Amino acid sequence: MKQGIERVMANLFGVVFLGLSFLVTVETVVRKVFNVSIQGSAELGGYALAVGSAIGFGLAVVSRSHIRVDVFHERFAPAVQAFMNWLSAVLIAALGLFLVGVCYRVITKTVEYGAAAQTPWATPLIYPQSVWYIGLIVFAIYATVYAARATKLLFTGQRDALLEEFHPKSAKEELKDELDDLAQRTDAAPAGAAS
Amino acid sequence: MSTTAFSLTFLLMILLMLLGIPIAVAMVLVGAGAGVVVFGVPFLASTGAMLWGVLNDNLLTAAPLFILLGELLLRSGMADRMYGAMSAWLSRLPGGLLHTNIACCALFAATSGSSVATAATVGTVALPSLQARKYPMPQSLGTLAAGGTLGILIPPSINMIVYGSLTENSIGKLFIAGVIPGLLLTFFFMLYVWVSSVSSGKVPREALPPLRERVALMVHLIPPVVIFGIVMGSLYTGFATATESAALGVVVALFFAWQAKRLTWAMLETCFIQTARTTGMIMLILAAAFVLNLLISLSGVAETMTKSVTSLGLSATAMLLVLIVFYILLGMFMDVMSMLVATVPITYPIVTALGVDPIWFGIFIILMCELALITPPVGMNLFVVQGIRPDKGGIGDVIRGAFPYVLIMMAFTLLLMAVPAIVTWLPRHM
Repeated sequence: MKQGIERVMANLFGVVFLGLSFLVTVETVVRKVFNVSIQGSAELGGYALAVGSAIGFGLAVVSRSHIRVDVFHERFAPAVQAFMNWLSAVLIAALGLFLVGVCYRVITKTVEYGAAAQTPWATPLIYPQSVWYIGLIVFAIYATVYAARATKLLFTGQRDALLEEFHPKSAKEELKDELDDLAQRTDAAPAGAAS
Repeated sequence: MSTTAFSLTFLLMILLMLLGIPIAVAMVLVGAGAGVVVFGVPFLASTGAMLWGVLNDNLLTAAPLFILLGELLLRSGMADRMYGAMSAWLSRLPGGLLHTNIACCALFAATSGSSVATAATVGTVALPSLQARKYPMPQSLGTLAAGGTLGILIPPSINMIVYGSLTENSIGKLFIAGVIPGLLLTFFFMLYVWVSSVSSGKVPREALPPLRERVALMVHLIPPVVIFGIVMGSLYTGFATATESAALGVVVALFFAWQAKRLTWAMLETCFIQTARTTGMIMLILAAAFVLNLLISLSGVAETMTKSVTSLGLSATAMLLVLIVFYILLGMFMDVMSMLVATVPITYPIVTALGVDPIWFGIFIILMCELALITPPVGMNLFVVQGIRPDKGGIGDVIRGAFPYVLIMMAFTLLLMAVPAIVTWLPRHM
């Protein structure tokens, strides 16, 4: 289930940016070669970034990609490490809720004034902003679920699980992911191409 | 906000970061916290509007697109095949395969924004053959760790996009400005390999494969070279903006992957999830940095700090020397991207007020980030290279092997200070 949602989000992200790449390429070439301007890709690029970032915030929670400095962390006593892991999970959730809170005003203002983009398309801003805002809510939910799990682990005294599941992502782990992928693609290489 | 109050706030933020609080949280906590104390709750209202402005900025769309481009080149296996091709041409030089390590890292860097991926990929291909041919381990590891840092200096560079966004400088200009320093630093690295292997008396050298074979191997260099050419060419000639050039690169990379019969949905899915995570991670700390930026610009603390620095009678050169020490110390403990976003909002206004060129300072910051990647105790590339070595030595080998390159980079920074045109000449001719 969790895997399923992650995949859907990642694919949505990818399709948005691949689509954007094709669109921008066509626009750039048409503009320069035929001197015809079909506007809009810059505007869409902005919306893609807003929505893509919000999706990314959530996915980065799952993969523990939100950066933490681990140099001193590793030297703390296990109890302190466990506490810091819990605190970090809770603070990321707080950040998610904070974003949802401060950006709520952006949405209400847009609705109140019926704001539109200052571009030739004059897109009603509520369209991209609502998708973006849903992304932020998903991020906040993800982070809150993780924080709840960490809290449960803390209060039931499952220190090892807290150390295992919530520690900062280390260079070693990142490297392992890279090496796994490398092994996979070297195996998958067409004959004669691997050298 | 007084300079003292702000300095304490800044120190508190660095402290929280070092304790292991997520970087983005530390910046928002301190930025928004101080903002509310100084300006009251309305500060939060402007935060929301500012966040939409940053996250909806098409200039920054270049970041996910370049990350996606690097992922496509990496996951489709195009980057893996460069090593063989490079070594066929370069390993005849005194220093042998060590040149290939550096040149391959430089070329890889030109297409990918990740130094972990660079060091991991090149290292995995290179280290077994280096070991088999009895190259000294510290030197081999050093070239890989140092070569991997070139990734953020040679464009496209995510760090430059982030710098450009924070300081409102042209990303295209920053990219172009990185070209000559990137090539020159690569050259100095290779020169060091040459000189040190000649002076050590043991000169590793490899036999030159027949010309026909060497030419045939060059096929593997076509995709990265073409993509780099399209991205940089379209930027330099003004054909495209940074975001547009990234989109062009993505489309061409898809074509090459399709041609190599590697364009599968599974491969794309891996690219998507990696790109989404990295984008989420970077955009969150960038958004957080803008909260800090908002505090700095509303409170006028940058002007106050600039005034107090200028009142010390510090020259631009003296200030930069102070900053080198500051960044080297900070870089020993902090993640590179975090260091960049947390400090640039403060150092940039001071330095530019002293008359330093904004684009030049961008390259300077990138060099400081490169140094941070290979200075112990926390140097991402040191860990990565240590993680892939085939023998069982300690990390001391990597640190020792990379140390000469630390010195070269410091000397190179001083060279850029003495001759700033190395950086500013090319972007001026755009």
